[in-house]
Amino acid sequence: MGFFEEYKKQIIMIIAGIFILTALFTAGRKMDASFVDNAFGFVVTPLQEATSGVGKWVQKKVSSAQNKTNLEKENEELKKQIAQLEATVKRLSMYEEENKKLSELLKITPKFPQYTMSGAEIIAKDPGNWYNIFIINKGKKQGLAANMVITAPGGLVGKIVECGNGYAKVQSLLDSRSSISAMSLRTGDLGVVKGDYSLMDSGLCRMEYIDAQAEMMVGDEIVTSHLSTLYPPGISIGKIKEIKTESNGLTKYAIIEPYVDFKHLETILVIQERFDQKNNSEAEN
Amino acid sequence: MRILTTSIIIIINFILQTTLMQYIQIHGILPNTAVILIVSYALLRGSIEGAVVGLFAGLLQDIFFGTAFGYFTFLGMATGYLAGRSNRNFYRENYVMPIMLCSIAVFLYETAIYLTSFLFRGHLNIFYYFGRTILPETVYTAMFTIIVYRILFSVNEWLELKEKYRYRLF
Repeated sequence: MGFFEEYKKQIIMIIAGIFILTALFTAGRKMDASFVDNAFGFVVTPLQEATSGVGKWVQKKVSSAQNKTNLEKENEELKKQIAQLEATVKRLSMYEEENKKLSELLKITPKFPQYTMSGAEIIAKDPGNWYNIFIINKGKKQGLAANMVITAPGGLVGKIVECGNGYAKVQSLLDSRSSISAMSLRTGDLGVVKGDYSLMDSGLCRMEYIDAQAEMMVGDEIVTSHLSTLYPPGISIGKIKEIKTESNGLTKYAIIEPYVDFKHLETILVIQERFDQKNNSEAEN
Repeated sequence: MRILTTSIIIIINFILQTTLMQYIQIHGILPNTAVILIVSYALLRGSIEGAVVGLFAGLLQDIFFGTAFGYFTFLGMATGYLAGRSNRNFYRENYVMPIMLCSIAVFLYETAIYLTSFLFRGHLNIFYYFGRTILPETVYTAMFTIIVYRILFSVNEWLELKEKYRYRLF
């Protein structure tokens, strides 16, 4: 103990130096959770799951008391919608059959294949105010891995950045570090959907590097493009809320409203396939 | 005993911060109770314990939400060590000092995050970040300091009483 007292400052400086160095060397690397991470995850994630369960339960009770009056009306409207949707589904499934037959004839592999998905719950969110990262309650044990794509009913959510044994770290597309290669479904114009800090709180994001001659309009649907090495093509992200020319006049940018409501997101779907290995190129940001 | 209590406090704080605190955010701003915890420990127990608490609180955040290992760990450690340097000359029962120091610590902590991970990536509108995030968070955290410091103060009192009997200190 006398040794520690004597060299207190030096010891603290050395420890601090070690952390700065590890931070510099590990920054931006995507790797699977280490032994230490898993040990902490084993202790902390069940507690987080329980606590967030309590929070959700209370919120549900409160909101159900508020909503009871509207339930009947909503029920009727939903029934009407179901009838409409059923008709559309029937029509579309006929198209699907036809499409299958035709592509078999032409020997084309399907452009928008079906993926195996599994559901997971969000159990914790970033405690800081800078980023948009959350933890889900499934990990390596359930067959998940880093760089898998996360969706929710409606559209894209983000990707797994780190995968532990029983948990996984997900970076949402609103995070200012995320960027996704995307295109407009109607016109096929390409761009990059990036998270923006000033739009994060209102649940919007930006699409940048759009060609100045692009004919995109407000309301157009934005999907992941075929250029992306991480994301499969054709997953819908959101629709254009605003489109403007950048101050340099060479490119346009658009404000995108994602289909997923990030504020009230509780369950998500993981696409259990890795697309980054198929293309064996460097992972994009 | 002290080590056990402290680690339980750190873990409980982290769990509350990531789960239930999400419901009390105002315009997306959460109070940074981890910094309150670190500064309170530094004030009550000195810079070394402040640095150790900061190290482990930062380590948890690094493991679950960081992309670089060691970033928040270093920040927490530095916060604890520097805050502890000022612990000798004040009455612990006084609330003004912890609130002041917590506000300053949160302000510097968030400014450091902004400088290292936003300014260098080309987000240059400093005033937006200060007005939108750092200052509101400082105020919100200062309000929370009163509650958290009160709890930690009583816990510390209880622990010191126990240690006094065990080691016959005073």
